[in-house]
Amino acid sequence: MKNKGSILLTFLIAVIALSCDLQTDKKLPYLGRRQIANGDTIFHTIADFKFVNQDSNYVTQETFAGKIYVADFFFTSCPTICPVMKTQMLRVYERYKDDPQVSILSHSIDPQHDTVALLKSFAGRLGVESNKWHFITGDKEEIYKVGQTSYMVSAVEDPTEPGGFIHSGAFILVDKQRRVRGIYDGTLSDQVDILMSDMDLLLKEYD
Amino acid sequence: MTKIVIAFYTAVILVSCTGKTGESSVSASEQVKLEQYLVEGRTLYLQHCSACHQADGKGLARLYPPLSQSDYLEGNVEKVVCNIRNGLNGPITVNGIEYNQAMSANYNLTPLEIAEITTYVYNSWGRSDGLISVLEVEKYLKNCSKD
Repeated sequence: MKNKGSILLTFLIAVIALSCDLQTDKKLPYLGRRQIANGDTIFHTIADFKFVNQDSNYVTQETFAGKIYVADFFFTSCPTICPVMKTQMLRVYERYKDDPQVSILSHSIDPQHDTVALLKSFAGRLGVESNKWHFITGDKEEIYKVGQTSYMVSAVEDPTEPGGFIHSGAFILVDKQRRVRGIYDGTLSDQVDILMSDMDLLLKEYD
Repeated sequence: MTKIVIAFYTAVILVSCTGKTGESSVSASEQVKLEQYLVEGRTLYLQHCSACHQADGKGLARLYPPLSQSDYLEGNVEKVVCNIRNGLNGPITVNGIEYNQAMSANYNLTPLEIAEITTYVYNSWGRSDGLISVLEVEKYLKNCSKD
């Protein structure tokens, strides 16, 4: 009987310890293929890139040094999911507007049409600041490649689709070490709620 | 079967309501028709329009203009009907603000569906302009300018 009691006590302590552990140490996963080199795990990271933003400035991996950021793929003339994505991304922008550790990167997948001038006008009409939310254009192949290989989302031309492209509505959360920590459906507001709570969690890793 | 019964009771109630006032210019059957247009119109609006104009009709920043409290709607039903069918390119001014984001065409919408959406837009967010019938819409669609 005494023995039974102590087992129960140990069990209770274990449960409490475990639940505390879950609350304080919940960590976001690392997405993508990982490799083991010399016993160390190397996580999937975003490859180097160089594009031009709405201010005609170069945007590279250096632009996001010391920041976590949310990336997506869109085009300004997109009639289907992009307006919803921009509505949702605007929520993220508004919430982290004053946090210098957070940035947003929207890639145009129709860079021939989406010129710097057009992106400038688009961002201006959306009412967002350039140093916080970058809208980039550049070499189409490079943009598609970074989408598929680094951010793990699809973006391809398809003349049969309204607007001429099929692309994912994903929002991709990237940490300060360029690792992908979450992928969310940017067309659904409850998914974007999860994104924002995950961003809070990620920022805590750097406290 | 239950649906039919509910529809019947709804009709009875609507008929009796309008019957009591006696002086309403809208007949009972028209009132039922308006209700049907609004229900369908709302579903279609959420499918085809709310991505840009938002579910509450307030639009998005200076990208997509509002339909709620929008001076563009004023006496402009014909143009609105044509815009829904053929889309819109180039700048427009709504409530004194210029918007210049292309609106996509909706060639797949039938005249009835366009009538339902237009009726919904003209009877929501503080407006109650009444039914815009499929016959009216068909007439407007014939006269849309091809630009």
